[in-house]
Order: sequence, then C-alpha cells, then structure tokens
Amino acid sequence: MRSELGDLFRSRELLWSLVVRDLKVRHRGTFLGMLWSLATPLLIVGLYYVVFKFILGALPVTDLPRPDGQAVPFAIYFFCGLTLWNFFSGSLSGATGSVVGSSYLLRKVYFPRAILPLSAVLSGLVTFLFELAVLLVTVMLFVGLPTVTFLWVPVIVLVVGVQAFGFALVLSAATVFLRDVAHFISVLLQLWFWSTPVVYSLLFVAPRPAMLRMVKLNPMTGAVVSFRNVVLLGHNPSFGLLGYSLAFGLVMVTVGFVVFHRCQKLFPEIV
Amino acid sequence: MTGVAAVPHFDAAEIAIVCDGVWKSYRNYHQRSHTLKEKVLAKRTRYEEFWVLKGVDLEVPVGSTFGIIGANGSGKSTLLKTMARILTPNRGFVDVRGRISSLLELGIGFHPELTGTENVYLSCSVLGFSKRDTQARYEEIVDFAGIEQFMHMPVKNYSTGMYARLAFAVAVTVDPEILIVDEVLSVGDESFQLRCYERIAKFRAEGRTIVLVTHSLEVIRTLCSQALWLHDGVAQVSGEPLDVVAAYLGEVHGHLDEQLQTGEVVQHQRFGSGEVVVDDVVLLQNGEVTKTARTGEPLTLRVEYTAHRVVDEAICSIAVYRADTLAYVFGQTTRQAKVPLRLAGQGAIEFSIGALPFLGGQYLVSVALLDDGTLQPFDWHERGYSLMVFDNPAFTAQAGIVRVDGAWRASTATVPA
Repeated sequence: MRSELGDLFRSRELLWSLVVRDLKVRHRGTFLGMLWSLATPLLIVGLYYVVFKFILGALPVTDLPRPDGQAVPFAIYFFCGLTLWNFFSGSLSGATGSVVGSSYLLRKVYFPRAILPLSAVLSGLVTFLFELAVLLVTVMLFVGLPTVTFLWVPVIVLVVGVQAFGFALVLSAATVFLRDVAHFISVLLQLWFWSTPVVYSLLFVAPRPAMLRMVKLNPMTGAVVSFRNVVLLGHNPSFGLLGYSLAFGLVMVTVGFVVFHRCQKLFPEIV
Repeated sequence: MTGVAAVPHFDAAEIAIVCDGVWKSYRNYHQRSHTLKEKVLAKRTRYEEFWVLKGVDLEVPVGSTFGIIGANGSGKSTLLKTMARILTPNRGFVDVRGRISSLLELGIGFHPELTGTENVYLSCSVLGFSKRDTQARYEEIVDFAGIEQFMHMPVKNYSTGMYARLAFAVAVTVDPEILIVDEVLSVGDESFQLRCYERIAKFRAEGRTIVLVTHSLEVIRTLCSQALWLHDGVAQVSGEPLDVVAAYLGEVHGHLDEQLQTGEVVQHQRFGSGEVVVDDVVLLQNGEVTKTARTGEPLTLRVEYTAHRVVDEAICSIAVYRADTLAYVFGQTTRQAKVPLRLAGQGAIEFSIGALPFLGGQYLVSVALLDDGTLQPFDWHERGYSLMVFDNPAFTAQAGIVRVDGAWRASTATVPA
C-alpha cells in the first residue's frame, strides 16, 4: 500500500489533469460553465429558505445555542449539513463509474489506476469548495460571523475525503465487474442520507436510544455533526464521533486498496 | 504488477525490454454477465480460455528499432500491450527499463468530449509530462499534427486521420525513451506518413528504442534493426530483419505453394520426361538469396538443374505472371535470346535483370527446360515459384504492373488575338 500511495503521489500532475477533465466534461456545452458550481448551491439555499421559512414555517434550530445567542434558521441548518453530505455522496457517485468511464485511457496507457477514484473524490472536493463559499456567505448574512472553531473545517473535510476515497476504491473496482453497482449505490446513498443527521439533529433522535446508537454507528454522523458545530454553531467538533469517523475511513482506505489492487489488472480486459 | 522481484538476468544497461516466457490468455465469455441478475441466474460463468501468447521470450536492446510481423490474430498487439504494462501476463514477466510512450490501436486515449488542445494536455500528463513541459512543446505537437484549425474542436468530431495524427504527434513529442507503435503508420496521407518515418528515423538516430508492429515488410526491411515473427502466439524467428522477413515469406509462400499444389490458386503443373530435372529456382540479389525484390533493383533468377544425360542443345524458358490476375507479364527463352545451352551433370542457368520493371505485388514464375530439337519438355514447372515485389519509394508512384519511365508535359495552345 505504501508503494501505491507513492505511485499516486508521483502522478499528482496527472491527478490534477483528471480532476480538471472531470470538471470540464461536466460543464461542457453549458452557458454558465464552472459558474454552475456556484449557481446550484445558491439556488438551492434560496429555495430551502423560501420553502422552510414561508411555506412550512419551520422554527429556528435551538439544539446547541451559538455563543452570541443568534438563532439559526432551519433552512441554513439543513443546507450546512447538506453541503458536507453532498461532498461525500457526490464523490461516491462520481467514483462509481470512474474506472469504467475511463476505459479509453485504461486500454491505451499505463498509469496508477487508483488515480481514477481519487480524482473523482478530488473533483467532488472542488465542487464542495464552491458550495462552502456559498455556505459561508449565507451564514454571515443570516446568522453571524463564524468563530475560531471554523479552523477545524479542513480536518473534517479531510476525514470525509479519506472515507470517500476508501469507498470510492471499492465501488469503482466493483462497477467494472458488476454494472448494477451504479444503480444500487444511488438507492444506498438515499438510505444513508436519511440515517445521517442532515435534516435532523442528534437531539431529535436522542429520545430513542436504539436509533441514536444506529445513527452514531454511521461514520458520516461525526463529520456532519462536527461540521455544523464548527461552521454554524461556533462549537468544537464532536471529538469522539469524529475520531470514530477517521478510524473508519482509514480502515476503509486499507480495505479499498487491497480490493482495488486485486482487481486492477483485469480492468483493461473487461471495461 | 509486471516484473516484480524477478532477478534480472540481463545486462540492465543494454536491454530496454525483456519478455520472459510471457503467456497471456483471454477469456472468451459466451455471454458476459455484467449485471447482477445475469450473475445470479447463470449457474456457472461459461467461457473458453484461449491463449494469445504462448511463452514469448524476447529482448529488445536499447537503441534498437524492433519490428514485429505476423498474420492477423498472431498476438502482436497483445504482446505490445503487455510491454506497455496495460495487460498483465498470466505467466512469465515483462520488464521495461525506461519511460514508455505507446500508440496502441491508433490511439493514445483521447476523451471524445474534450477538444484537441485539452486532450493534448491530458495525454501529456498521462504520459508523465508536467503542464509546463506540455506548454513548451505544444506548438511542436500542433505543427507536427498539422491540424491547427481543429485544435479547438472536440475530438469526437475528428476524422480517423486527424485523430491518428494528433495521437502520433503527442506520442513522439513526450520524449519517451521507448516508443511503442502499433500499426499507426497505416493511416494518414503520404506526406504525414513520410513525416512519421522521418520522426522515427530521428528517434533511432537519437539512440531511443522503438518497438513497432507492422504489416509492411518494407518497413521491417528498411527501418528495423531487429525483427520478430510472431505466429500463433509463439515467437518463430527473431534477429536480423532480412532473415525474419525471409522466414515469414517462406511460410506465407509455403502456403501459396500448398495452394498451388492443391489447385486453389491455379493448377501448378509439372510435367516432362525427367531426363533433366529442375531442382530449384532461386532469386538472387547482390549475390544473396532473397524471396523479395524491389522495383528498379537488379534481380537474378537462377535455375538449378540436374541432367541425367548430356543434352547438347537445350532451351530454358521462363515466364512471369501476376498472381492476382494471372496476367502474363513477361516471358523469354534462351532460344529467343540466341544463347546456346548445353546441360550436363549439375549446373545452373541464370537470368539477370538489370532493373526490375515490375511494380509491387505477388508474381508467379514458370520455368521450363526443353529439348531444342523436338521441343519436348524435360521438366516444366508451370507457375511453380512465387516472387514478392515491393514498390520502390525512390520512384514516383505509378499504378499497374510494370514501371514505365515517362514524363508529363502540359502546354496551352495560344489563341490568336
């Protein structure tokens, strides 16, 4: 695995080219191009704000009060968790087809194959950075200035990235042999979304201990809860849950490399 | 991974590529199950395993131009792919020393949605070039490909020729130590092909290693310093290009001879009294035996015979036909040439052509020895030998079967005012 990581590091120029390729292909032929990465989250947060505030009349969230006592509108609370979740789910769905979708390269040139799922995760990260910018502006406009705990964001993003990369390795390799994975993963991500406290808070499930335990087993829970704490609520990350997320991610990357390594020599023949 | 932990048994400084007992099989699935339903429902995945490479050993020395020939399906492309690390051998190992750039199946891996420019940058980084390196060479690549006005168009709109040009331009520009080329030179117009050959010659002069697969024996003869004939996944002959080409043609001609004998092409007739027997007919070029010839080059046809009795007045007759149309191209006898012929014991009769006028193609040769008095044949081989002629790049291209040395001139009639 060390040599694989070394290979990946040596191919970082290629990695970046592939990320750029992903982003370019995604926005090819559109009028706004890369601006869509900014426009989409803006439109979504606007929509949520209108729907939750004026149509559903959702109450501001009060589970963890901000140091300045400012209330957090539900739409923004939701959008905050969703931003991080989108990074994870976008990376996974991007990575699922990453090997199959690059058959034109696989069959012609040798390069460290693990670059493909990694580049999918990194292009997910780039998209996430746009959303993060929108989120930050929204928070400053509607809630207040972020506190010093915001500095934890890179750590949390790294934890999610590691996790996403671990799953991406397994999924991208599995899709080569079984195209069903692509369909399966979109359903699974829905299920996963609802078992992650994005729409709800941990307090919401606290009265039901069995459910709380299950939600806490979900490796994305720690990341999402911590992300909201540091970006929105001005609190520290939930260190216990975040540590669990990190450990889970590292195990997943190891498993992913083993699986990927075993499969990769068959890629050019099958894709 | 290829070539892991193998003890190098070669001088690393001199060998660029080693294939050691490379076996590669493909699984030919009757119907490949890609979906879960198919996987579950199929009791057992049914496939046939067929071996494409059956223990290929070869060494490509650094700085050599290594040509691979063989019939379709003989495993040439698979061999190249194992060298390029794209396929992993089932058994044996491939070890490559040096930075490889490969052009397989006419391509280098372009994304159809991206423009020519974007693909150049992507491919260069796949081949290990940084963005800055690519920028420095970009002009050169575009110049070489000669498709400047199309660089901002997605490559999905490219013609095969444009695609191949750009791919070749990228592959030769990234400074590879080893260039692997699979039949890329068969596309593109002549001026582009010429530039490709010039580029390959330049590569060779710079001491880089080139491995190429080709169907053109001419390329093997003129470009390569070493060659390999791959037949049915087995390396038949490797070494000097001329020897390899000769062995390959021997096999191909062997087939032709078989066909001749079984009457598939034309009835190969042999008749005569047998008092004098034609033992063999060989082609000589500069005193060496050859199976091929080139338009405009000297060629000698030697008829070797054994005479069981002395014949004082004999005739030797030769005739040449096109193998495809059976057109009668040329014929002459010693009698027409007023050359007296006396046959005794073992001997040879030679017919020398100063400059071969036949254009490229396959030819059949008839040879006969007859009695000058009675015109009874001693031994007559009707279209019993074959001759492969290549077009000579030194001459202006012509069509047809013989080379005609002519000149064009155009004039315009002046109209009286």
